[in-house]
Amino acid sequence: MTVDLSTSLCDVNFANPVFVASGTFGYGTETEDLVDASELGAIVTKSITKYPREGNPPPRIVETPSGMINSIGLANIGVDKYIEEMLPFYENIETQVITNIAGFSIDDYLHVLEKLESSDGTVCGYEINISCPNVEAGRIEFAVNPNLTRELTQALRSATEKLLILKLSPNVTDIGEIAAAAVEGGADVLSAVNTLFGMSIDTATRRPNVNTNIGGLSGPSIRPVGIASVFKISKSVDVPIIGIGGIKSAKDVVEYLLAGASAVQVGTANYRDAAIVTKIINDLTTYCEENGIATISEIIGGVEPYD
Amino acid sequence: MVAEKGTVLDNREIARGIFQMTFTADRICNEEPSPGQFLNICVDDSWEHPLRRPMSIANAEGDKLSIIYKLFGEGTKILSEYIKGQSIDLLGPLGNSYGDTNGTTPVLIGGGVGLAPILWFHKVLQKNNVNHITVLGARNVEEHFLSHEPEKNIYLTTDDGSMGELGTVMPTVEKVCGDTENTKLFVCGPEPMMKAVHQFVTSTHIPCELSVESYMGCATGLCQGCVIERASHGLKDHSYHEKYSLVCIDGPIYLAQEIVFS
Repeated sequence: MTVDLSTSLCDVNFANPVFVASGTFGYGTETEDLVDASELGAIVTKSITKYPREGNPPPRIVETPSGMINSIGLANIGVDKYIEEMLPFYENIETQVITNIAGFSIDDYLHVLEKLESSDGTVCGYEINISCPNVEAGRIEFAVNPNLTRELTQALRSATEKLLILKLSPNVTDIGEIAAAAVEGGADVLSAVNTLFGMSIDTATRRPNVNTNIGGLSGPSIRPVGIASVFKISKSVDVPIIGIGGIKSAKDVVEYLLAGASAVQVGTANYRDAAIVTKIINDLTTYCEENGIATISEIIGGVEPYD
Repeated sequence: MVAEKGTVLDNREIARGIFQMTFTADRICNEEPSPGQFLNICVDDSWEHPLRRPMSIANAEGDKLSIIYKLFGEGTKILSEYIKGQSIDLLGPLGNSYGDTNGTTPVLIGGGVGLAPILWFHKVLQKNNVNHITVLGARNVEEHFLSHEPEKNIYLTTDDGSMGELGTVMPTVEKVCGDTENTKLFVCGPEPMMKAVHQFVTSTHIPCELSVESYMGCATGLCQGCVIERASHGLKDHSYHEKYSLVCIDGPIYLAQEIVFS
């Protein structure tokens, strides 16, 4: 049978539902030897900020059981260089590109988005990182406050007609409430989740293993948190959701889709295998064939929950 | 850079807590790796340890590669249990390599976890008939697997004097540097050794290439995890990739004056 893996977020279509998550695929140029980027459902870029950022001092990463903690600190080339150097590269790859934007004030986010809007870039949308746990200023404030989330979303909504995706933090009491605020502000799509707060300590030196003491936990260990978040958000709002957290196999993708995601992003697993997304996409086709699924979108939200 | 499943040919303890593993890796070998470059190895199929382990290449011969690793944590424990015939998941060759020795007297300095690239470089220089001096340090005789042969310009040192010269590598390094001209140091070792050499060359201005160890997430430039601080040389307006260098793709070999040991 022929399997249709395509999915859509509002009116934007994607060849398949498996994207690479922000910050885990560089700018898409680093691993050209290993993976054909045109096979990806979409590339979500590293977070882009108003000015270039050097990022945090080392140590920046540590492995944890079935996961890792990072504290990179949004190291990136800044919006001007991004427009100059990266956007032309993206024109030449046959996949959708979503620019991830981070900032410390509404003005910061707006500045980056407006610059991108006035450039000739062909990105299909923006993912707004309101939830990076590793930067000093504005530390996770937007993501934990529904009013700030709504206000930021409104400001960005008025500046673009492209796909506007708000990336939510799991480090909140009620992710459904934040999701509702983002949708009220005009978000088209929600992505969930960003990393969880995490900490590990070197027992010999008694020093935390990342420079900010607490960093962002990712990897297979957080997958149940991601699944639960997608499920909760799908009960709270009626917009497409991109599921993120611990995906490393086609089965994990199916789990997210069943919970209510229309697409997913693969993050930490890219570090182990830069070509893992293409393998997952192939396996997803096999899964659909074996289970009589003609169109992947038919399983979205297909979980049969207990009452 | 190639991803390849190699086959383990041999894996054994060559000194206390130090193992050598040899495997086939013809595709990586076709890329002609050179001393200083490394592999990133996935230690097991389960995702309990999601990150690969960066390991310096200790030798390349035909379609075979070797690594030398010290039993250190969970990853190296798993590696030490690989047996002949087992498949091993490799990515490489990664990073840059030791630079030019032309017109210099190379002094290779290694110890502990840093023995691998130094031993390979030593072999390559030997094969090319390049006169050089090798100084290897360890805590005691049980951690050494070569012989102390000053007549062949191979000096071994031990912290307890149980083999070769007593003490760290530094007195021997200072002595050989005093006895040679156009000396250039090539170093890979544990942090205290690297710091001592860095301090020495900073004051003596002897050219020096250091192979830096760093905790890595991906080893391909994706994760930005493995940074080391660059020496600023008055540069104040640090922006992306200016203050911090990515050890995986910019390194692991740096000129001593390029980097800061904090």
